[in-house]
Amino acid sequence: MENRTPQVFFALSLIVLALLMGAIFQASSPAWKAYQHQFYRLEAQQEPTAAAKESVMNGAVSIRQILLPGLQRVDRCTTCHLGVDDPTMAKAPQPFTYHPNVGPHLVARFGCTICHGGQGLAVDKTNAHGRVAFWSQPLLTKDYVRASCGRCHKEGDVPGVPELAEGRRLFETHGCRGCHKLNGVGGSIGPDLTEEGANHRQPEWLKRHFLDPNSLSPSSPMPNFHFTDEQARALTFFMLSLTSEQMGAYYSSVRVIPSPELGRKLFAEKNCITCHSVGGVGGRTDSPDLAGVTRRHSIGWLDEQLVNPEMISPGSLMPAYELGSNERKALIGFLNVATAEDAMQMLTGRPKALNPEAALIEAGKQNFSRFGCVGCHGLEVQGGVPNPNSQGGEVPSLVHVADDYTKVEVAKIIRNGKMPPLADAKKPAPPLYMPAWKQMLTDEEISRIVEYLWSLQPKKEAAW
Amino acid sequence: MNRRAFFNWSVAGLAAVWSAVGIAVGAVARFLVPSVFYEPPQNFKIGNPGDYSFGAPTLLPDEKIFVFRDQEKGFAVASAVCTHLGCTVQWFASDDRFHCPCHGSIFTANGEVAHGPAPRGLEWFEVTQARDGQLRVDKSRVVPASYRLVVKA
Amino acid sequence: MISISEVYRSIVRRDPLSTEKGKAELVFLNLWLHIHPVKVKKENFRIRHTWYLGFITFYLFLILVGTGVALMFYYRPYPAQAYQDMKDLQFVVFMGSFLRNVHRWAAHGMVICVILHLCRVFYTASYKKPRQFNWVVGVVLLLLTLGLSFTGYLLPWDQLAFWAITVGTNIGGYAPLLGAKIKEVLLGGHNVAEGALIRFYVLHVVVLPALVVLFTMLHFWRIRKDGGLSRPVWKLEEETTTEGLVQIGSAAASPPRNESVSAASNDKTYGLMEVVTGSPLFETVATEQVDEEVFSFPFAFYREAIAFLITLVSVMAISLAWSAPLEEIANPAKTPNPAKAPWYFLGLQELVSHSAFVGGVLAPTLMVLLLLAVPYLDSNPSRRPAARKWAIWIFTAFMLVNFVLIIVGTYFRGPGWALTPPWVHVAGHE
Repeated sequence: MENRTPQVFFALSLIVLALLMGAIFQASSPAWKAYQHQFYRLEAQQEPTAAAKESVMNGAVSIRQILLPGLQRVDRCTTCHLGVDDPTMAKAPQPFTYHPNVGPHLVARFGCTICHGGQGLAVDKTNAHGRVAFWSQPLLTKDYVRASCGRCHKEGDVPGVPELAEGRRLFETHGCRGCHKLNGVGGSIGPDLTEEGANHRQPEWLKRHFLDPNSLSPSSPMPNFHFTDEQARALTFFMLSLTSEQMGAYYSSVRVIPSPELGRKLFAEKNCITCHSVGGVGGRTDSPDLAGVTRRHSIGWLDEQLVNPEMISPGSLMPAYELGSNERKALIGFLNVATAEDAMQMLTGRPKALNPEAALIEAGKQNFSRFGCVGCHGLEVQGGVPNPNSQGGEVPSLVHVADDYTKVEVAKIIRNGKMPPLADAKKPAPPLYMPAWKQMLTDEEISRIVEYLWSLQPKKEAAW
Repeated sequence: MNRRAFFNWSVAGLAAVWSAVGIAVGAVARFLVPSVFYEPPQNFKIGNPGDYSFGAPTLLPDEKIFVFRDQEKGFAVASAVCTHLGCTVQWFASDDRFHCPCHGSIFTANGEVAHGPAPRGLEWFEVTQARDGQLRVDKSRVVPASYRLVVKA
Repeated sequence: MISISEVYRSIVRRDPLSTEKGKAELVFLNLWLHIHPVKVKKENFRIRHTWYLGFITFYLFLILVGTGVALMFYYRPYPAQAYQDMKDLQFVVFMGSFLRNVHRWAAHGMVICVILHLCRVFYTASYKKPRQFNWVVGVVLLLLTLGLSFTGYLLPWDQLAFWAITVGTNIGGYAPLLGAKIKEVLLGGHNVAEGALIRFYVLHVVVLPALVVLFTMLHFWRIRKDGGLSRPVWKLEEETTTEGLVQIGSAAASPPRNESVSAASNDKTYGLMEVVTGSPLFETVATEQVDEEVFSFPFAFYREAIAFLITLVSVMAISLAWSAPLEEIANPAKTPNPAKAPWYFLGLQELVSHSAFVGGVLAPTLMVLLLLAVPYLDSNPSRRPAARKWAIWIFTAFMLVNFVLIIVGTYFRGPGWALTPPWVHVAGHE
């Protein structure tokens, strides 16, 4: 060993040198540098003079990042996607293509990943596009990008994204809450969906699960609702929007989209028609008519009027409504186009008042749907959802419940829950069971549901 | 092996080791230089030319700059940070000057020090027009007070 | 002007290295090198005697300190920033991912090497008199190494880190009386959260490294005082008597029959110490053969340097080839199934899954106490393997059981801690 010791030492130190150079080389030649050079060449082509071309070609080669503390992220996508806000790059090849139609969502203010997904901190393609292990928000395909609108715009319709509204509607009407909690309300048979958009951000998986739950979750008791492809897609959009984002003040303030439709809804909700006529319809004589009001007053004046009526019009009886800035914008947008017809609709379109008994039953019906009972007991309360090893093998119909139980007994079952009796004591317990709702429903709400169930019976002379 | 060979191999080995050390020191130095800055960017867009009025300059408080728009001469952007101790100066149309509320420094409309403890005039930054039409300010490029960006309407 | 040779001579004051005096002075007069003896026994430096494991462990520690300090420039030990800083190191910092990988693999390497070193010292019975206390210092260093690895494990603040430390601190919490309190002090609370992160960081970066440095100094000092590296076991086979250092004035100081005290030998390493202190504290009861001694420079230094380069090359190559893991950001609401402690504690976790008391209290306490007591339990002065069959068998069994438990915990435990063969991949839609 001795004789060759210095040679071994020399050889090893050469290997160390080689490995060190390897590590340095690896760190010095990331792909984004090549992309930036390529982009500068593209830009230079547009420059008229050689001097201008030269100056563009010598542009800084560095990582670009957009700091978004209000969205709790850092996006470095623009390191390669350099043409995102440059209309002259509309025809350029990716990654340099211009991003059209961002609307109010300026790249400098919103970054990229809040809509598109991906890993903003990374600067190489594979990691940045987020289709890697341990990154739960990969890039969304073009199909599903607009689902991200629902991450911020959680209430109201989003223009251009009808799937979101449809998905929300389907969720409420098909009784999903019977098994799944959402924002604290719902059953515990299935997983809580409040953060589903963060937990399962794979649109294809979600859609397939809606179309055929057991194909992806073999032991799941989730029934097959036989959704159409469109419905599954809408529900997937809704799922993808279920993330909880902690947003800075600016982003929270612009969540509500100020559309005239929202304005109409607010006008009806706040009952403005009670005091203000529109085009001569409705209102009282002591309050101004609002048709064409946007031509008589500036938008700023109207906005201030909504915030603080007493200050703008001393002696005014108009209350100060606590409306956010986008909500006020929406109202003013509606007033811009409001006509006497709209006022007429608001006055007559109100549903006829129900008698107290019918109102109770209607409330019960609403609750039955809202809290998800229809998910297991069916849209027509007919039962039928498979429940292996329960007596009868399926979730029971409740149409004739008045025959077998008293109202008190039914209310108790709703309050405390019930395990279905086993068909075979030796086999495992059925996966579906009646959850206990006493934490989530008041006694009032429970009694209304009971009234609704009783109303399903053909009228009987029953004394109890 | 004989002494001479032993010596030569040893020298070669040491040379390799010391060069590795030297290169490693260089790598560590580069390692310590930050590649990204967690600060607001030096180079940013400030909106469309049409957003800015003529006459009195517009203060952008977050970016700490004044945007001047002149009918004939075009756009100019000045720093709003007093060169004395860093307070944000205010524009007073009454005397066409910038006044610093902290220690009374006064700057002319060209940014030169007219009065007060400020040691230097206000800096003027390069403003250009980006390809989407917006104005772009680059705080890392200081220009003379006479610099103007003429924008095609 | 300035004479270069004068400048040089003011720094380097020894004789030239071509002279024997120069070689001696290089070691004796140098701050960094004088822990070495001026001369060493060639046989003690044979590779298969120690495999240089002690050196390698120390080199890995140096590499860890170097890369660790570099990483400290970018890492902030707070839950809101830690994970993002790990991503920044991976993506935007120049050589950030390489440095992090080196740090991670060197850490695992150090734990493995310190254990292997412990095994080597045991098998060569180098803990026997007069080296008993140095073994104890070594066990302390082992525990400090595990502590460093454990505290460092939390810092990336990903799911792997968070839950491994949750499991690990829960195992520790089983200790009677003080367990809950120790857990509270470690975590700065009752759960792994920002208190735990900053405490683990301070332990990892200041307290434990300082302790390792202090105990390493003691460890090296003791090696010198105990007579340098022990003689290789195969040399003992050739002799009829044992080697050892004995205190002057003790009964054994009067040499047994076939031996002679070689106090007069000119190349005995204690010669210089005699000049300084008057008389040596210990006397070598030498054997018939006098081992060949050479100057530390260049013999020993070359070998140490080569060991260092091999360590460095291995760590660098592994770091270029494999990346250290970084899972999703720590999520206290989402427990991975199964949640596993770092690999060196998986044996304990396996035991805990059968009995919390055995795995969390009995086994670790017994292991540590037994390890510390090894040199005192084993009073047989002979180092020859033939004379200590029981010791070797018991120790080997102990190491094998640990090894098997760790393998089971790593590869054969799946969701719910159920026995799952390693080739069965748990399906998830991740």
